[in-house]
Amino acid sequence: MPSLSSEERQQLHDSLLELLGDKYAFEHWKKIARAPGGEGFGRAEWQEFADMGWLGIALPEEAGGSAGGMTELGIVMAAVGRFILLEPFLGTVVLCAAAIEKAGTERQRRMLSDIAAGKLLLAFCHAEPGGGYAREWVKTVATRDGAGYSLTGEKGFAIGAHAADQLIVSARIGSEAGPVGLFVVPRAAAGVSLIQAPALDGRPGAAMTLAGVKVGADAKLGGSDMDMLAVIDEIIDRGVVMACCEAVGAMATVTDQTVEYLKTRQQFGQPLSKFQVLQHRLVDMSVSTEEARAIVHAALQALDDKAKDAQRLVWMAKVKTAQCARFVGGQGIQLHGGMGMTDELSIGHYYKRLTMCETLFGDAEWYLRQLAQRREAA
Amino acid sequence: MFIRTVEHDTSLDKFRAEVRDFCERELPPVIREKQKRGQHLEKHEYISWLQRLGSRGWNTGKWPKEKGGLGWEPAQFLAFQEELGRAGAPPLMSFGPTMAGPVIYTFGNEDQKRQHLPGIIKGDLWWCQGYSEPGAGSDLAALKTRADRDGDDYIVNGQKIWTSTAHWADWMFALVRTDQKAKKQEGISFILLDMKTPGITVRPIIGITLGHHLNEVFFDNVRVPIANRIGEENKGWTYAKFLLANERVGNVDVAKVEGNIEQIRQLMAETREAGKPLSDDPTFNRRLAELEVGLATVKALMADQLAAARLSGAPSLMGAAALKLRGTELQQGILQTGLDVLGRHGMVYQSDALNAGWNGEMIGPESSADVIYEHLYRRAATIYGGSSEVQKNIIAKGALGL
Repeated sequence: MPSLSSEERQQLHDSLLELLGDKYAFEHWKKIARAPGGEGFGRAEWQEFADMGWLGIALPEEAGGSAGGMTELGIVMAAVGRFILLEPFLGTVVLCAAAIEKAGTERQRRMLSDIAAGKLLLAFCHAEPGGGYAREWVKTVATRDGAGYSLTGEKGFAIGAHAADQLIVSARIGSEAGPVGLFVVPRAAAGVSLIQAPALDGRPGAAMTLAGVKVGADAKLGGSDMDMLAVIDEIIDRGVVMACCEAVGAMATVTDQTVEYLKTRQQFGQPLSKFQVLQHRLVDMSVSTEEARAIVHAALQALDDKAKDAQRLVWMAKVKTAQCARFVGGQGIQLHGGMGMTDELSIGHYYKRLTMCETLFGDAEWYLRQLAQRREAA
Repeated sequence: MFIRTVEHDTSLDKFRAEVRDFCERELPPVIREKQKRGQHLEKHEYISWLQRLGSRGWNTGKWPKEKGGLGWEPAQFLAFQEELGRAGAPPLMSFGPTMAGPVIYTFGNEDQKRQHLPGIIKGDLWWCQGYSEPGAGSDLAALKTRADRDGDDYIVNGQKIWTSTAHWADWMFALVRTDQKAKKQEGISFILLDMKTPGITVRPIIGITLGHHLNEVFFDNVRVPIANRIGEENKGWTYAKFLLANERVGNVDVAKVEGNIEQIRQLMAETREAGKPLSDDPTFNRRLAELEVGLATVKALMADQLAAARLSGAPSLMGAAALKLRGTELQQGILQTGLDVLGRHGMVYQSDALNAGWNGEMIGPESSADVIYEHLYRRAATIYGGSSEVQKNIIAKGALGL
């Protein structure tokens, strides 16, 4: 697996923290998030991230990328979490790039260059209202229509779908019993109606109805009618581990900020950090962050090594990270007291982002259940 | 102390029916509808309901008869809360009936009782609590807002923070420092302020819910008659603690908690995984069962405290602490379960849907926005009224002698 040297990884990490710390402090975040009539993220920022090479970090060299692996992409996503960036990394760079790379034809893979260059925004629209976290649940149907297809169905809420140029939509080919294909659908296509809404963490996105949306034959990723459920499984696993990286970055910030706050906040004639019960709480937050970081690293490594048990490790990482995220995020608010309850302070926004990361693609309980079922089957 | 549990008390059946019937007839449709959607009430809507309850004396049913209440036993009060919750009525307001009222009738003089108790009983006036300050949170006694004597008045200067619904309040009960030199607990007085007094500024704090519930309140040379002081000067800490114990019992609104469980049960029924409703899922049902065990336990703790309050005039500080601790943890646990369901709908938070007149399209179950609002709001449950850490210190010192 081609990937960066440890020195290059360190440089990537440093450059992310340096630039984002410099230009993407919380005051800037608020400006973008609250811009009246805004899209909920920054187009100029997205372009800057592209110019820094971050969007193409794990894309092939022929697409203008750095050909890094999951570990490198994970470094970028951890920085996304550290600064709770608003731009659509997960939808575009993680999920849809993976779909195109894994399933696309040579021609379709040209979209990867546009992703790396920051010129193409995508949203991965797979989950459906009746499916919950079940990955194989696809009721949307793509019936053949002349040389192309006509898509009909409902897709659940996806962050960034409101502003995506193209949506990658899963649908059963031919009939409800057909194989699952992935289709590239312009957001503005006739028959696509979006219900735009904010997520818990304020990032906008949309749920959608597809009513006889006509697309060409070339809209289907890959040339054949091969069932894409196994590929979708891999795409979602990539999303899972990257959401975990994001959570690890956010947890690191929450822990740092809470330690700093308790050192300065005086009550009972001394800083709160002098109280042993609070020291131990901070220690638990710090250890939780480290635990999550460690197992997520192991999962990234397993994916990069194409290890046989990679999926199992990804799922275990999600369980542990989700549990740690809930604890760290909740304690971040608790230890900030009333301050933690205000929209003006960043800590509440980190709590919300952590809640998103925790539940995206399935929560701890759901993955524990999957792991348990595998044990039973084995 | 062993007390009959509320559910088995058939002697209350008639009373329950009366409350149900009352709600059926008297709860204004606009409030019923807003409550169903979890939408925010306007002050005048809330007051109009409290006044209806007040016409029966029900805002203050648990007050002793000689104080103007109905002398309800704990079981009757719990039954009342339950029926309100089941009827979809707004929760009882605690600032007047649970906090200010008992302090006034226990420590206030005759004039103060005459002036303030009827408004609380009738539900006419909105109260708020001037306790926390920027430098005085868990360490409440460190408060700095000062009241200096000037003839028959105090001149109040300083700032309160996290003041819930101060923007609605007609009156505030507040802790102020009247002796700058004394030990911190010994220089505090308990005063009542008319919120219309010149020099009071209320500034909103937008919460993580994206709603406006909290405020900062600034006092700039606010003139308050010394006659508005409750009890003795510099003895305010005693009354403050008495109030805190009542507040902590009031923090746990079992009707609201029960309503939350019902809401989650409904969410589960409306949410499918691989086509099957979560209400058929053994893991989710196990969690519901666990939450119901928690609720039954908290109700039992609550009954103990209400009984103690009737026997000795106030709940015990330790008992109230234990109740507050477990009651708020339970509430957070319930709402967390709600979020665990809503993750399956993409964790959308359409907070605008909580405003009257919203006509957008909801993604996911209708109660989503309300459940997420409540979840975020109740992150503060383990902070307000004395954080969980403070409650544990109270129990460690008071009950265990550590």
